[in-house]
Amino acid sequence: MRRQHVRCASAPEANVCTPRAPIVPGPAYAAAHRGLPAAAWICALVAFLNAAAWSLVTPAFQVPDEPSHFAYVQDLAETDTLPTSSQESFSPAEEIALRDLKQREVRYSPQNPVIFNAAEQRQLRHDLALALSRVGSGAGVAASEPPLYYALLTIPYFDGSSGTILDSLLLMRLCSALTAGLTTLFVFLFLREALPAARWTWTVGALGVGFAPLLGLMSGAVNPDGLLCAISAALFYCLARGFRRGLTPRLALLTGLVIAAGLLTKLSFIGLVAGAALGLVLLTLRAGHLSRGVAYRSLALASAAALAPVAVYVLVNELTGRSADGLVSSEVASAAAHGSALREMSYIWQFFLPRLPGMHDYFPGLSTTRRFWIDGFIGLYGWVDTVFPAWVYNIALIPLALLAALLARALITGRHALRHRGAELTVYATMTIGLMTLIGASDYREYPTHIGNYAQPRYLLPVIALYGAALALAARGAGRRWGPVAGTSIVALLIAHDVFSQLLEISRYYG
Amino acid sequence: MTLAVGLALTGLAVFAVLQHSPLIAAGSNGVEASTELGVVQGAGSYCQPGERLPRRISALRLSFAATTGPKIVVAVSSHRRVVTSGTIGSGWYGASVTVAVRPLRRAYSDVTVCAHFDSLTGDVDVLGEQASAAAPGAGGLVPGKLRIVYLRSSTKSWWSLAGWVIGHIALGRAPSGTWIVFAIVVLVAAAVALAALALTQELR
Repeated sequence: MRRQHVRCASAPEANVCTPRAPIVPGPAYAAAHRGLPAAAWICALVAFLNAAAWSLVTPAFQVPDEPSHFAYVQDLAETDTLPTSSQESFSPAEEIALRDLKQREVRYSPQNPVIFNAAEQRQLRHDLALALSRVGSGAGVAASEPPLYYALLTIPYFDGSSGTILDSLLLMRLCSALTAGLTTLFVFLFLREALPAARWTWTVGALGVGFAPLLGLMSGAVNPDGLLCAISAALFYCLARGFRRGLTPRLALLTGLVIAAGLLTKLSFIGLVAGAALGLVLLTLRAGHLSRGVAYRSLALASAAALAPVAVYVLVNELTGRSADGLVSSEVASAAAHGSALREMSYIWQFFLPRLPGMHDYFPGLSTTRRFWIDGFIGLYGWVDTVFPAWVYNIALIPLALLAALLARALITGRHALRHRGAELTVYATMTIGLMTLIGASDYREYPTHIGNYAQPRYLLPVIALYGAALALAARGAGRRWGPVAGTSIVALLIAHDVFSQLLEISRYYG
Repeated sequence: MTLAVGLALTGLAVFAVLQHSPLIAAGSNGVEASTELGVVQGAGSYCQPGERLPRRISALRLSFAATTGPKIVVAVSSHRRVVTSGTIGSGWYGASVTVAVRPLRRAYSDVTVCAHFDSLTGDVDVLGEQASAAAPGAGGLVPGKLRIVYLRSSTKSWWSLAGWVIGHIALGRAPSGTWIVFAIVVLVAAAVALAALALTQELR
């Protein structure tokens, strides 16, 4: 099959790429797309180092649900079976570590620091050395999750198993930090495909992602969010590549495998699947103009690659009596329990956006957009209990507004280019909306007793590629002359954000 | 050049922030947050008399727990005169909430602490110790006393507490030791240096 190339290679400032019109790329474009540029590797390394720093800053088991995720890996490694109970009945070895670390007293209680004297440290060291069982009977909230991430983490778990479980935890966290590097690498590649004419902005966007404190926190912990983020970024890259160069059987297979990996990593990946499926269908229809047979074969290949491993996993679960579709079925149940899909839609809308006229007010006196998502993005760490002083969130609105203005300028300037990319943008929007719907629906399940349990920006990390694109476009929005200055300033700002976020975490746990 | 300026500004900001003092506990009402005393739903008030206010306090930590807490206005009154007050906006999360109040120089005995909740969907749990009789002024809501911790700024800056903080970071992990702090600094510095390299190469 003939390979498609992009039109923007000959019009570097236009940022318009029309895959239906293959042309021979210019030398600059070819150079930029031959192999991986050194900048991509550097950005990935930056993200890994940052996540590794976060893994050391954060005390053991003080990241959301880390005890449960650790228990899952431990169960899998020690018994070769997946956990079947969502009780927090961890192994005696883990339980004694949690007790000595005062983990349950510290989480949700910012006034309680972690252990802070030599006597407590001696007790911890003594208890960790005891020959306690490493087999538990439940993995808490992690129990219903699919096994890919946990299976990978059994490698560092075994590497550290000759020491204490805290040795294993450290190695698992460092291994997990690699996913931050992968995420940033795929974001760089995504930007290379999505913004092919502005090479310098790829580095700005990727470094912005690499220094994102939330990515560092989650990737530097035992939590599948890190791998989910990397796989989601890979999916964005595959789709962007498809829209740029056309859907080849090889790319279709890769996209299918990425979707399968996502579904086997965390159930919330389901939120992206509808958008990804739409993308594959649109790419197939587009490729059908060249060769209908190859196009539909590619779609079939992608579908088979995506569904086959998942089908095997579901079958294994059915045979072993383990619930594999807990989240999905509970979402369906929630709509039924609350009686009205319209009410649920209204709740989900207000969970992210200001209430529209005629909607019931589910969050009286609360601006969810500002409080949950903007403030949460600026700083919400630990067990969602570690925040900056209130004035920081107000000051931070200034650089955020500047970034938004630059982004808006870039979008207005490039509006003609955007018109040609409606299908691609629709796919990204569908993926984002799908994810947001899943998060909002999960929160609606707990209404009215608890609201905002899922109001955690970490759940939006799977669309971090779009955050990278927004940063890259904001730099571009400053224009040709000031763009590099703006780009460097954006990276400097995000480094400051990261440094202060780590200091906040340190003050909360060790102050 | 731009990055150097940005990093220098960040360094200055870090220096300035570390000149400040952390909030520390000046005292508490001696009540443990061991029991869930009840649940507040919607708008309402919770008042607790018989509190002693240490001097120089600038914040109160109240053992209210919520997933998404409502706006709370705290007023501390002595002989029906409000001596200090403060507000926290809605959306707080956790097993306690810290409300900054107008700093006080002197101590007060026998004050009443009142928390006024704005209306917001969701529960607020009240944590404290059960009493044999309902606490007067609690509006029949909670048979017991809420845990309250009174906070003031430390006389020491974060800089002068650096050794203490580094000592804490070294604990509770394996392998333990103050090398952890050195490793964190090296990792962050290496990440920043690499970012500078990438920007220099790509944005020139």
